[in-house]
Amino acid sequence: MIDSNASTDERIEMPTATTTQPGTDRPTTLGSRRVLTATGAAAVGLSAVGLLAGCAAGAAETVAPPAASETASNTAAATPSATGGAATGTMFVDGTYSADGDYQSPNGAESVTVTVTVEHDVVTAVEVVGHATGGNSKQFQTQFASGIAAEVVGKPLDEVEVSRVAGSSLTSGGFNAAIDAIQVEAAA
Amino acid sequence: MTREHGARWRFEAIGTAWEIETPDPIDPEARATVRERIDAYDATWSRFRDDSLVARIAREPGAWTLAAEAGPLLELYRMLYAATDGRMSPLVGASLDRLGYDAALRLRPSGPPIAAPRWEDAIAWDGRTLQAPRPVAIDIGAAGKGQLVDLVLDALVAAGVEEAVVDASGDLRRIGGGIARIGLEHPGDPSRVVGVAELSTGALCASAVNRRAWGDGLHHVLDATTGIPVDRVVATWVVAGTAMVADAVATALFHVDPERIPPELGIEYVRIAGGRLEHSAGFPGEVFA
Repeated sequence: MIDSNASTDERIEMPTATTTQPGTDRPTTLGSRRVLTATGAAAVGLSAVGLLAGCAAGAAETVAPPAASETASNTAAATPSATGGAATGTMFVDGTYSADGDYQSPNGAESVTVTVTVEHDVVTAVEVVGHATGGNSKQFQTQFASGIAAEVVGKPLDEVEVSRVAGSSLTSGGFNAAIDAIQVEAAA
Repeated sequence: MTREHGARWRFEAIGTAWEIETPDPIDPEARATVRERIDAYDATWSRFRDDSLVARIAREPGAWTLAAEAGPLLELYRMLYAATDGRMSPLVGASLDRLGYDAALRLRPSGPPIAAPRWEDAIAWDGRTLQAPRPVAIDIGAAGKGQLVDLVLDALVAAGVEEAVVDASGDLRRIGGGIARIGLEHPGDPSRVVGVAELSTGALCASAVNRRAWGDGLHHVLDATTGIPVDRVVATWVVAGTAMVADAVATALFHVDPERIPPELGIEYVRIAGGRLEHSAGFPGEVFA
């Protein structure tokens, strides 16, 4: 179930992220993701399912949920997987998974990157990194296209005067929800 | 970042965040008209619902009368299909499904890449009726959001709005006096810009492959002749008179070099390709190498 804090007169358009049958395919790596450092968010000991479901909501709470009733919030909540009983006896494959969540706040579009490390069905590390538009991102992301864009330096936003930015950082809510669901599907 | 106008209306539609900025708040009747326009567009073109017209066309052969907006949209697609030697195509839905960008957003390939069918083989379009002897998966993602921005702006103008910026997260169009300075977001770092576009009345569309990437080399801009994601061009920005044209050409520039874009479309561009930042001589604004 995709969670949404939209006010009732705004329509949220997001496909429901489905879980596929467990198969022999390993999940594809999630492309290149930001390198992250631990922030000490309380995660150790929580079940992976609970955390992944709560992580996106937690991210929204951490970075100031929208107060204005006309602003729709877009939380990329994970769909807990009903599959279990993978060959190793754990529900989730050990590893590190991350996803981005985008939403609107009164300050503008915000995005966060959430990364969790799962070992033996326990989340041992969590990080939430907020990327406020107009502010400085903590990390410089290298593209899956092998850093081609890294050679183009550009200028920091706070050195230019603009009224808005055109790019692709505000990505589809449904897409993000699907990425979250895929992490849960890591059990497959 | 300073805002141009006093009122901002934000909502989610067609899976992305929209913001409409106007000097005064938009009245409820105009908002309702905008929502209806978006709903109608989605009901026709959405690949992510099984009750849309394109979903039906993907299931059953037939002759289909399309809405009026399909005329200019498919005409533009036909032009760019020719200009890109078939690499940019509206018939790429099945190829996207195969790589995992399907209605359920499984984001996992279900097999090797497949090419889109050739236009001549799959459909006949006379400007109003689409004939498809076999089911065909149509995807207008390369230009549809831009067209919808234009249609939303038309609805606002019909409701009496005279100054506005309609911004659908990377596809925007502006009417009104003065000049807006719009940063061109660095595809690798949203806190930086690679240039600034100066827009008076017109549209600016941005396209980049970084965000809808779900695996190694898997993203949503496909070469229709192979079904495989393109890999040399990373980001494009196009200024044009309408958002539909800006959006479509922003995609086309992933497939071909700017010399192939028909000059009658009257566009200006910035592009990151092969590790370099390129731009047209007449691009309004500045570019930071």
